[in-house]
Amino acid sequence: MTSSARMYIIIVGGGKVGFHLAKELVEANYEVLVIEQDPEQARAIADDLGDIVLEGDGCEASVHEKAGTRRANMLLAVTGDDEDNMVACQVAKQLFNVERTVARINNPKNEAFFRMLDEVDTTVSATSAIMAHIEQGLPTTHHLIQLLELKGSGLELVEVRIPEDSRVVGAPIKSILLPYQSMICLVVGNDGQPKVPSPDTIIHADDEVIAVTLHESEEQLREALMSPPPVRSF
Amino acid sequence: MATTDPTAGFRTILVPVDGSPASMDAVALACNIARKNKGKVYAVHVIEVKRSLPLDADLSDEASSGEGVLVQAEKVAQEHDFKIEGELLQAREAGHAIVDEAMERGVDLIVMGAEHKAPLGEYQMGRLTQYVVRAAPCSVWLWRHPVHE
Repeated sequence: MTSSARMYIIIVGGGKVGFHLAKELVEANYEVLVIEQDPEQARAIADDLGDIVLEGDGCEASVHEKAGTRRANMLLAVTGDDEDNMVACQVAKQLFNVERTVARINNPKNEAFFRMLDEVDTTVSATSAIMAHIEQGLPTTHHLIQLLELKGSGLELVEVRIPEDSRVVGAPIKSILLPYQSMICLVVGNDGQPKVPSPDTIIHADDEVIAVTLHESEEQLREALMSPPPVRSF
Repeated sequence: MATTDPTAGFRTILVPVDGSPASMDAVALACNIARKNKGKVYAVHVIEVKRSLPLDADLSDEASSGEGVLVQAEKVAQEHDFKIEGELLQAREAGHAIVDEAMERGVDLIVMGAEHKAPLGEYQMGRLTQYVVRAAPCSVWLWRHPVHE
């Protein structure tokens, strides 16, 4: 394989995350460059991984010019500072046309905002990932658990465990009014058997339902699948 | 007690060449030591490739001037009755390439020529020299030219 056919990946931030990413990617034979601002840290990485570090500010266009960001296939912004990660992605996308950008999110409160940006293709948040694990492990939660984001369409894959008092228990799927662009893709029953649902599939309590939905329809989907039947007053 | 010749162990020697007079002196010095020890001399010229280009980019101008430097080094070696092996490398940074090459070939010594440069009125050792002196696993000799008046 010639090096011109190798994927060129730029990592902004040479902290723990950046260093280990770089190490993994070098071992996987990608062409890698780490942009690191701190001279000592830059030197430490170069001593360990060789000639793959550029000392400089990953938010500056001139540094990206030197880094050859124009020919990069991917930029991973993984500094400990969300603002820096955002700007690095913006510079890479807007000025250098990088195909894919990934931003690390340190403060989960920034996640929703990052998702709105066209310059950030993928967001990664350790805090949210751990939260999702905790929620998944709880016997009953009153949330949807987000499993995967399908970038581009704005759709996401979510998991719902049907509570006993849900209005859909005992009802066939065709009777459930799902929000716009939402779809139930998979139902896993108590016995652990996955089923591709038909319109006549009956939903039971404790079923795990995997559905596709729009991010903004999450709340409506939660309502449709998890809330108790309306109280009749007559 | 008779002191042993400290150069006796230097059989394989690497000389980075950039075409400067100091680097050519380094070649001559290396040839003399290697001949005495029945060793080998590798002359290496490194082409630094900007990151805006892939590492294996076709840099024909730089390659031909690099070949010229190696021919010059071979001539210097001939004058000292020795035959050296020349190599042209493409790398991001010359210092890393030289140290890597020294490790790969398992050389005993790197002889480097350096000019006395004082761009800001004060002598500064070049980035490359600094790196090689710091990172090379083998012995390093620095041949610095006299100060220009």
